[in-house]
Amino acid sequence: MNWSTALPLLVLASSLLPGLMIFFLAEERVITRTTLNLAGALLKIVLVGAMFWGILHGQHFETRLPLLPGLDLVLRAGPLSMLFVTLSAGLWLLTTVYAVGYLEDSPYRSRFFGFFSLCVTASVGVALAGNLITFVLFYELLSLCTYPLIVHRGTEVARKAGRSYLAYTLCGGALLLLSTVWLYTLAGTLEFTERGFLSGLDASVHPQLMFIFALLIAALGVKAALIPLHGWLPQAMVAPAPVSALLHAVAVVKAGAFGIVRVVYDVYGIEFATSLGLTLPLAILAAATIIYGSLRALFQDELKRRLAFSTVSQVSYIVLGIALASPLAAIGGLLHLVHQGVQKITLFLCAGNFAETLGIHKISEMNGVGRRMPWTMSAFTIGALGMIGAPPLAGFFSKWYLGLGALDADQAWVIWILATSSVLNAAYFLPILYLAWFKKPPASWPAERSFGNKETAWTLLVPPVVTAIMTVVLGLLASAPFGLLEWVRLIVIRGYAQ
Amino acid sequence: MNGVMSASLLVTALGLPLVLAFPALHRRLPWPVHLALLPAVALVFIPVNFWIELPWFQLGAGLGLNAQSRWWLAISVMVWALVATFLFTADRRDGYPPQTSLVLLSMTGQLGAVLAIDMVSFFAFTTLMGYACVGLLLADADATTRRAGRVYLVLLIGADILLLEAMLMAATITDNLGFATLAYTISLSNSADLYLSLVVVGFALKVGLWPLHLWLPLAYATARPATALLLWIGPVATGLLGVVRWLPLGQMAAPIPGILLLAIGTVTIFYVVLFGVMRAQRTPLPAYVVIIVTANFVIGLGACLIDPILWNRYGESAPIFMFIAGLGVAIMMVNFQCSNANDKRSRPKPVDRTALKMERGFNAFIAWGRRTGMDTLPRFRALWLAKWDGLWQKRIWQSVFDSGEYFLQRWSFAVTLFLLLFIVTLALLLLDAASVQ
Repeated sequence: MNWSTALPLLVLASSLLPGLMIFFLAEERVITRTTLNLAGALLKIVLVGAMFWGILHGQHFETRLPLLPGLDLVLRAGPLSMLFVTLSAGLWLLTTVYAVGYLEDSPYRSRFFGFFSLCVTASVGVALAGNLITFVLFYELLSLCTYPLIVHRGTEVARKAGRSYLAYTLCGGALLLLSTVWLYTLAGTLEFTERGFLSGLDASVHPQLMFIFALLIAALGVKAALIPLHGWLPQAMVAPAPVSALLHAVAVVKAGAFGIVRVVYDVYGIEFATSLGLTLPLAILAAATIIYGSLRALFQDELKRRLAFSTVSQVSYIVLGIALASPLAAIGGLLHLVHQGVQKITLFLCAGNFAETLGIHKISEMNGVGRRMPWTMSAFTIGALGMIGAPPLAGFFSKWYLGLGALDADQAWVIWILATSSVLNAAYFLPILYLAWFKKPPASWPAERSFGNKETAWTLLVPPVVTAIMTVVLGLLASAPFGLLEWVRLIVIRGYAQ
Repeated sequence: MNGVMSASLLVTALGLPLVLAFPALHRRLPWPVHLALLPAVALVFIPVNFWIELPWFQLGAGLGLNAQSRWWLAISVMVWALVATFLFTADRRDGYPPQTSLVLLSMTGQLGAVLAIDMVSFFAFTTLMGYACVGLLLADADATTRRAGRVYLVLLIGADILLLEAMLMAATITDNLGFATLAYTISLSNSADLYLSLVVVGFALKVGLWPLHLWLPLAYATARPATALLLWIGPVATGLLGVVRWLPLGQMAAPIPGILLLAIGTVTIFYVVLFGVMRAQRTPLPAYVVIIVTANFVIGLGACLIDPILWNRYGESAPIFMFIAGLGVAIMMVNFQCSNANDKRSRPKPVDRTALKMERGFNAFIAWGRRTGMDTLPRFRALWLAKWDGLWQKRIWQSVFDSGEYFLQRWSFAVTLFLLLFIVTLALLLLDAASVQ
């Protein structure tokens, strides 16, 4: 085993081993646990950076381990997988710093951080999976590792949310496994390939392929929260804020959306999927989810619940971008994979700050919170404006390319969907900003904690501020050399024959 | 003046106000807004045309200064200096001015729009300016001004969506969104009429052109001179600059939109004279003056769209017109400030804070339903629910209708406007489709 074959495994191990070690730590071993967490997260970033550097210089990273006769466990670093791995690794570090502060006095921290690390391991595995069976394994691992995090508080509501999550995701997982096996019997391979591996199959199996595509979308749509499979996501917001951030921005919903990208690009191939007429229904489903999620978000008073419905809406931009079958729209969709993650994690971490520092859980309690917590609220404002798509923040560029792609694909109706969604995004985010910045604060907050002359603990403040800065920088430097846009263009170009 | 110096000044003219917008920085300075304006002042006096390209910035941006934008910059600098003076003078009495950050952000956006040489940068800077202006209105102590802020916010969102669509359309026509070649490329396109309509309606929403001027009288009713001047140079003057930059003026004849603009401009002047100025209290008068200036500008634009030669002949006088108009508004505001200081009786009388005209129609429909015993929405809900027997379905529909009613009542203005916009855009699309056939 050389560096090229070992590196994908090392990237996985950098969170897996600390996670396993943390399980065996006593609750009071705070420094050891924090050191392990942060060292793992930092090491992962270094390894991912090395992998990134290698790929830029033409190196090929692949680990292949025998799993079943004819089927290998394959970890492969390509442009698309690196996009997701970089996002997960970067945001994991910030979420870990945040979680350390957030759970300072909570019980069962070893259990929490153990599963937290396993979750990131699973999402990195999902990203690096080189074939569908490896993808399925890590996808299921992700479902199982997330459950203990959702029920972490141990309340009846949390347990109910956990059961709902498990029911949804396990059913989705079963469908995924079924469709994977079915595909294997038809194609004899499950290897992710540029422009897919199914286009060469006989026309007589095309109806089966169409049905399998529907099964795959249903399976992956659970985690991507496509309607009507989104029910678990708003319920799961009872979890602690770092878990919400993990669910909405780093791992779970992203794994679903990423899976759909993989299926459309590397299993079916975008051109073959379009020729089978599969992409338009997917685009319509994504468009419906965008509008539905935004409409539901509009009427939520609970902040995290509003953000959860916002995720339902925003993640479908990724699916819409892929389903429009236009390179420009695909650029928009893939950009949004990163942009939505960075913006949504900002919003969830800020929501956690409001809850932890002032005991604020509802929007109606947020009057004047900007004066009490200006840094947190500034970060929230940037995240919210990014979600609306205000230029020059990151979200604008996703919508820009989605719009261009819609016109390129002759699907002008999508422009109306984007416009309506932007109006609705503004309608559910701007009132929050109005209350927070322009209303007078109350005489006392629901449950205020004092942090001296600081607005909150630095471990809680730094991560959302950093992600807010990232939102600005990703927008301002969108066209920078070696920037995200260039990377995404590279991914999209390889997906299209012409 | 060498290129590096000019480029540095261009970047500093935008960077300095942006950096000073951080409260921790401007709180430590005696005249932060004046200081932030200094690089822009220096730019006005550079006699040569120059620009810089920033391919790594946003989607590839550019900043520059030519003879025309120098006029706009001159009027901007003059008005911002007055805004800063008024702001300081007014707030010295009340202590630290809490809106300084928003003023500096507005200034960054407005100066950026003047210096932008491509659509995306212009759009980004005007959005920054627009939201900062909304913030200024919403931060005001007076309920009417805050109401103006909310109404302007809705108009701004509508405008941004239409302009984004226009920009997307331009991007499908040409790869280069720079203003230098935009007008010519657009004029050759089959979709020029639709593009033109989107730009005109989009900027009409931004500048408060009649009948979308609703927020202006509200905003000026109790606005202090600093805010009033800022609203002139920000949303209004920069919006008009946007029309000039985005439209293919002098390149193509568009008789129907041209006649439409001529008609709107003329009607606006009559409307303002008959219903605005004559009935207005003293304080919103500048709002009506602003609307008349806009109407005059729109009449000019209409004429230039009908006959492109007019723009080639007189187009360069547009910034001079705006300069003089700005000067007039500034003098008027200085006069108001002085007379207000001397005469306490000139303080605004209580202002009518009832719903706006557009909303009244919508609210009247619901009120009419209630009066006639039909109670429109709840009755409709009851009728619908009667069709469903199951408790579970009833609960769902009940919640759907409750949400719908809440939405319609809470966002009546937005809904009304959005429906109007939808109808207008649909009509434009149909017109465009018909013209292509």
